[in-house]
Amino acid sequence: MGGVDVGDSGGKKRSTNTEINMVPFIDLLMCTISFLLLTAVWVTNSRINADAQVPGPPDPNQELTPQTPEKVLNLHIAENDFGLVWKQGATVVSEVRVPKVPVEIKDGGRTLVRYPELGKKIEEEWKQQGGHRDPSDKKLDQAILHTDNRLPFKEIIAVLDALYSPKREMKMADGQVKPIPAFNMTFSVR
Amino acid sequence: MSGMHDKFSTKHHNPHAHVIHQPGKRLLKKVPLRFVWNKVSGHGRKGVSTSLNLTAFIDFLITIVVFLLMSFSASGEIAVDKNVKLPKAENVDDVVDAPMIAVNGNQVLVDGTLAGSTRAIEELGRMQKVDELFNILKNKRELWKQVEPNRPFPGVAILQVDADIPAIVVKSVFQTAAFAGYPNVSFMVQKLPKSN
Repeated sequence: MGGVDVGDSGGKKRSTNTEINMVPFIDLLMCTISFLLLTAVWVTNSRINADAQVPGPPDPNQELTPQTPEKVLNLHIAENDFGLVWKQGATVVSEVRVPKVPVEIKDGGRTLVRYPELGKKIEEEWKQQGGHRDPSDKKLDQAILHTDNRLPFKEIIAVLDALYSPKREMKMADGQVKPIPAFNMTFSVR
Repeated sequence: MSGMHDKFSTKHHNPHAHVIHQPGKRLLKKVPLRFVWNKVSGHGRKGVSTSLNLTAFIDFLITIVVFLLMSFSASGEIAVDKNVKLPKAENVDDVVDAPMIAVNGNQVLVDGTLAGSTRAIEELGRMQKVDELFNILKNKRELWKQVEPNRPFPGVAILQVDADIPAIVVKSVFQTAAFAGYPNVSFMVQKLPKSN
């Protein structure tokens, strides 16, 4: 078993080498491994954030001042391409069409669809048109998703994944600067 | 036979010999058979008992323990409706504690309670407010406000939506949650490893 060698004692003295019984230690390690394996969480779920943009009730004591509307990215999911339209109020600031180039990934019995080209184009657009880039700015640029009612949810998530690929830095309440998605999304409602 | 017995005798002839002496091989030593005695004492042959070096084994166990402790999550597993196949995404956040709205092929459930029919929304073909869902969420919100009167209501809800559910259902549930006071709606997904 395990032993501790502290060198040759020499002479007639009692040997200082001793054997440690390692069986209880191995038992302890085995019990710890069993406990950790039994309580382990193997499936990691996460979330993609969205915001329904519901305004709160107006404060009667506060005078309303008309504000210039912010630029908003309207993301249209069409049959063969995506439309990236920056609008300020009703005014169209810029419009870009991105061809739909799905990258299919085999995942067990399922096929996942990703749109990396769309993600790159959205990042380029945000660098040109995005309004909230300073780390001290707590607001995010808004994106409105326009989809067909029959579009499956996995397609929406693939587009949202591309939309959230551009990251910006934001200073948190504890002073730490963390990378967060540059956009926040909501659905268009007609 | 008597000579053989003398040879294998283990009696101490010296009366002053110590009673306690260094332990040696004991098993089967008293069996008065030559082949057994040869087997036990070795006699030029390889010993039958051997000691294993456990250092590598203990190193292996410690490595496993450290790995499992590093990946241990105290938050526990989040219950996902068994009829919901979650989509996967890369750019995700950690899950927060919030009401779970599960949307599978047939039903809408809030924390396991039935809150609407997916089929009914699909058949109608246009966005609508799901009344049962709205009432359940509104009650939850009011309960939260009673329990935590001094804290602002976070308005966070998490949607567990099946990957094949059409957008009309997702939009209806999303909008209903917003009307019920939960504007910060998140979609639960399975995390994909980051690709370059």
